[in-house]
Amino acid sequence: MPNVSTIQETRVALVVDDSKMQCRVLQKYLEEESYRVIIANDGSEAVNMYIQHKPDLVLMDINMPVMNGYEATLKIKSLSSDALCPLIFITSDDTEKAFIESVKVGGDGILVRPFSPEVFKAKIQSIQRIIDLYGNVKSLQQEQQKDAELAEQLMSGVIEARNFALDKIGIVKKPAALFSGDIQLTALCPNGNLNVMLGDFTGHGLRSSIGAIPLASTFRAMTQKGFSLIDIITQINKQLYDLLPSDLFLGAVFVTVSEHDKSVYIFNGGLPDAYILSTEGEIKHKIPSSHPPMGVMPSLLPDTGLTVLSVDPTDRIELISDGIVEARNIDGEMFEFDRFERSLIKGIKAKNVSKTVLKDVMDFCEDMPQEDDISLIDIPCSNWDTTKNVEETATTVNVDEKILPEKDLTESLSAWDWQLKLAGSRLGKINPIPMALNQITEIEGQSEHWQNLFTILTELFINSLDHGVLGLSSDLKSTAEGFVLYFNERESRLSQLKDGFVDIKLSFHPLPSGGRIKIIVKDSGSGFDVELYREKLKTRDARNQLSGRGIYLLEQLCETLVYKNNGTLVEVTYAW
Amino acid sequence: MAIKVNLSKENNQLIIRIEERFDFSLHQAFRDAYINVKTNNTEFVLDLSSTSYMDSSALGMILLLKDHAEVLSGTVTIRKPSDTVNKILEIAQFHRLLKIEY
Repeated sequence: MPNVSTIQETRVALVVDDSKMQCRVLQKYLEEESYRVIIANDGSEAVNMYIQHKPDLVLMDINMPVMNGYEATLKIKSLSSDALCPLIFITSDDTEKAFIESVKVGGDGILVRPFSPEVFKAKIQSIQRIIDLYGNVKSLQQEQQKDAELAEQLMSGVIEARNFALDKIGIVKKPAALFSGDIQLTALCPNGNLNVMLGDFTGHGLRSSIGAIPLASTFRAMTQKGFSLIDIITQINKQLYDLLPSDLFLGAVFVTVSEHDKSVYIFNGGLPDAYILSTEGEIKHKIPSSHPPMGVMPSLLPDTGLTVLSVDPTDRIELISDGIVEARNIDGEMFEFDRFERSLIKGIKAKNVSKTVLKDVMDFCEDMPQEDDISLIDIPCSNWDTTKNVEETATTVNVDEKILPEKDLTESLSAWDWQLKLAGSRLGKINPIPMALNQITEIEGQSEHWQNLFTILTELFINSLDHGVLGLSSDLKSTAEGFVLYFNERESRLSQLKDGFVDIKLSFHPLPSGGRIKIIVKDSGSGFDVELYREKLKTRDARNQLSGRGIYLLEQLCETLVYKNNGTLVEVTYAW
Repeated sequence: MAIKVNLSKENNQLIIRIEERFDFSLHQAFRDAYINVKTNNTEFVLDLSSTSYMDSSALGMILLLKDHAEVLSGTVTIRKPSDTVNKILEIAQFHRLLKIEY
């Protein structure tokens, strides 16, 4: 750490006196204290020399021609606002008035003649100690400033630069003078859902950013592997609890937006209400905090769950940290929720929430210094991934044309097999899909096809669990509101689940240019009338229905799809 | 002084009262208020009735007090938070961690 007082640089003293004799005496004493001395013979000259040489110390006479010592001091002090330049009056005037006036104009001390060289040098040394102390404080302050800048760079440059769909999601981030720990993350799930997190770490500067890197990597890795939002939250809470000291934690809102299900899953732990608004600017939902911040408790509270809401594709979700509502104006008033909601509605109508809200907050605060980070995330409920879906369909079509399915798959030799059977209460607690995908990736490496496989595996597993083991009817899902009912019913049946199983089996068959994976999923349910179901599907355009979309999707993605054993076993192949 | 401390030996109770702003500037003073209380089963009462503002570092400071109390098998009670302060406690869902008396 650089220390100003140890930097060996000649210090400069400015001596101001109309008596050349006095100047010479002081110059001699100062040179003995290792100062380089410059001399001015009146106040006006002193001001010019001060501007030119920026001395470390000024010794000032009071009575001088052209401009006296008080006037010169006023000028010099107004010029030296950001630097400490001690100024001492040297005078023979030992009246009370001289003493008071010299302090009033900004002088840092007064030395009354006559004095011995020893007294003069002692005074200079004591002033020197103050200069050194000030230098130390200043360099510490610069260190702190650098730390804060590093923290901010880390957040915006390294972590948030990897966010997904930055052009579709409106993100406002205005760090306070001393960076205050807000973090914003977005990532795409393998099934096309969008995960978003807005967090606010306690504290300021570098201290508030130590949790950011593990937080971002966990959020991204688990999202990409297809873990559910509640799994991700559970893991992040535990990780931050283990990692951070007691008084450091993360207030956060986590959101999964499913364009496909027209639903939003939200968890608010320690941030202000999250909002869902219609395109007309009507506030449809407010989601208040329902859990202490992340990293406070060793594990999530037992009754913790996600809020599930059905949404229209044109709805928008708005997340904020407390920086906006607690922003203060010149009278010490806070921006508060009323003003924020009005600004939000205005922004929705103007189709530019982030710009509108930021401008309103700035106008409200005027020139007041910003105490806390200001963050807002404006999330659309659809269309963040339009281009991607088109590409996906195109590739799938190509694959279908190129590869002809073999007649009997069971006869060709598989390169490897993998099987997992989950039974009873484990079904509700363990998500087998990330495990299966891990297995595939570990053996076969990365491939663009795993995303399709993820979708297929998820659809198959969810169908077997929901309709087979739990016996839920998909008719419930026929309306958007029904979807929420369905989800709630599913949660309650899952928590009471004691028996039943789902058995997943994968086998991989290498092909000259790619490969084929056969997936068999078997469940303990009572099955269904496969023929009747197929007929039912044909009579309506399944693409626009909330239910039945799963099967439609499977038929598009898979090479073959066969139901066996009265619908309790499904066998699909996927090739590339 | 923005912190008032009242130790009652017979009740085994330490009352810490915070006036005006409860924020990071009180960090040292707040810690000093309880750190030397090492009697088992002490009830730490945090009186927030005249606290006008509280920030998230204050929440962190309360959690440190809770850690200290737990080592002594003691308890922490927050007493009479003002509306503004209660809003902050509610957002952080602190009633699920500590006793709050209204």
